[in-house]
Order: sequence, then structure tokens, then C-alpha cells
Amino acid sequence: MIPGKILRFLEQHANVAFAGTRNRDLVPHGHKVCGWRVGADQRTMTAFVAEEFTPGLVESLRENRELAVTVEEFPSHETYQFKGRYLSDRPVRHDDVEIVDRIRRRFVRSLRSMYAEVPESILGAFVSNPSLAVEFEVLEVYLQTPGPGAGTRLIPPVES
Amino acid sequence: MGMTRLPPEIRPVLENGTPAVMVTCSADGKPNTTVISQVYYVDETHAALSFQFFSKTIRNVRENPRAYVCVFDIRGQAHWVLHLKFERSETEGPIFDAMDMQIEAIASMTGMSGIFKLRAADVYRVLSVEKLPFSRWAAADLHGSGR
Repeated sequence: MIPGKILRFLEQHANVAFAGTRNRDLVPHGHKVCGWRVGADQRTMTAFVAEEFTPGLVESLRENRELAVTVEEFPSHETYQFKGRYLSDRPVRHDDVEIVDRIRRRFVRSLRSMYAEVPESILGAFVSNPSLAVEFEVLEVYLQTPGPGAGTRLIPPVES
Repeated sequence: MGMTRLPPEIRPVLENGTPAVMVTCSADGKPNTTVISQVYYVDETHAALSFQFFSKTIRNVRENPRAYVCVFDIRGQAHWVLHLKFERSETEGPIFDAMDMQIEAIASMTGMSGIFKLRAADVYRVLSVEKLPFSRWAAADLHGSGR
């Protein structure tokens, strides 16, 4: 279950995400994620994948169901990785696009000072239009914020 | 089959310290994604990635040498997608020294001084490279109606 602190991070602070899959030959592939939603039971997530990163995605997921999604708040670099098992996919809906629009605005606000000379429309274009929603069961959560604790498994907790 | 070469236009993108993400896969088939602070241009057919504290990534590429990297060129409005194969790890020499210096500069610019520390420069052969322009969207949405 995704804890409340990480849920708040996902819903209020995070602004960048990327998914990783692999094919039957264990070749890794990446897929830009422009938005996300946590299921009501906090055990599933839905990632909204940018259109240009969908080729091959569904085929790999249906073949092996393996998925990892890293979500970061830029520029603070607070980062978590969610690993899990593919459940389903569908085209994005209007309410998914609204989530992506919120994340896009959050992203532009966060980067405005670092890219003062770049027009907002160009910064905003970084958060691509989504075309596919991928739901997955979250089995593990890892801390990935740079530092000595990076790589620590948070969910399920590591037995000491 | 000819070797894949990095196009000249990618070099300034990499030298700007542009953030990137990397996907690897363990021998038992578990993908792993991570944000990386640096993709270093070695030559036309090789790139180096910094080994700092990404232990799962480092373990994965030693079990399964294939890697995927996506570099975000925000000013150029494009993603650069690289498929790579791990070749060797260097802990000294000109590639290591240059990456170490670049990492310190990136750390200082991003408020991560003292946290980023280069342990090794992992050198990869470039198997393929592709430029994917950002998809188009309506800029007016950015200032949308009070959501």
C-alpha cells in the first residue's frame, strides 16, 4: 500500500515521471509518463504515457507484465520508484488529461527560474500529450532521491 | 552491419548537463528506471554514464549489458533515445577525470554538492540513437481555467 506521505508527494509535488519495461529478450525500453493517478485502495497506479513513447509498450506488458515507474519532483530531486505488475490499458479520458494539465503547470512553475529565458510554451511542451493509460499493481516502492539512502526499499519494508 | 554513430547535434545537448533517465533490466527480467545526472560523450560510438549510487542499475548492467537512455533537450524540444550496451568501467584516466569535473559542476548548479560523487565511469557502445520531437499541445492550456 502506498503510504500517505508518498501519496501526497505524487498528488501535490511530483512533476516528472518515466516508465521502464522490457521485451521477451530482456532488452529494456523507456516510456515517458506525463501524468499519474493512484487507485482508491492505494495499491494500484495508473500512468499516462506520452503518445510518442507507446510503440511496443502494450505488447511487452501483455507478454511479461513487468513495469517500473520513477517519479521525481524537479528540481528538489525527491524521487521514488514504483515497481509492479501490469493490470490493464485503455485510451486516456478527459479527466486524465486534466491531471496531466495540472502536472504541466506544476512543472512549468518549478522550472521557470532555471529556464528564465525559455518561453512557458516550450517548457510546457516537455509534458507531452498522453494517449495511453496503463494501470498496474504496485508491489514495491523504492527511495531514489540522490544520497546515501538511494535504492532503499520502502514498501514492503526491509526486514532488519 | 555498420556502427551506429552519435550525430554531431547531440553533443552540445550532452555537454549541457541535460538530465536523463535510464532503464535497465536484471537477469531475471525486472526492469529498473532511474534518473541520471550526466550522459558523457566519449566519441562517435560511445557514451559514458556516471556510477554514483545507483546500485541496482550497476548490478543490472553487469548481469545484462543492455541499457536504454532518454535525454531531455528542453530547449531543443526533443528527446534523444539511446540504446546502449555496457562495455567497461573506468575508475581513473581522462574519461573519469572529465566526468568527475562535470559532475561537480552539475552538483554545484543543482544544490547537490557533497552528494554527487563519481565512483566510476561506465562506458557503453551506442547501438542506436533516435531523436523524438516533443509532441504538440495547446499552449493556452497552460493558463487554463483555474484548475
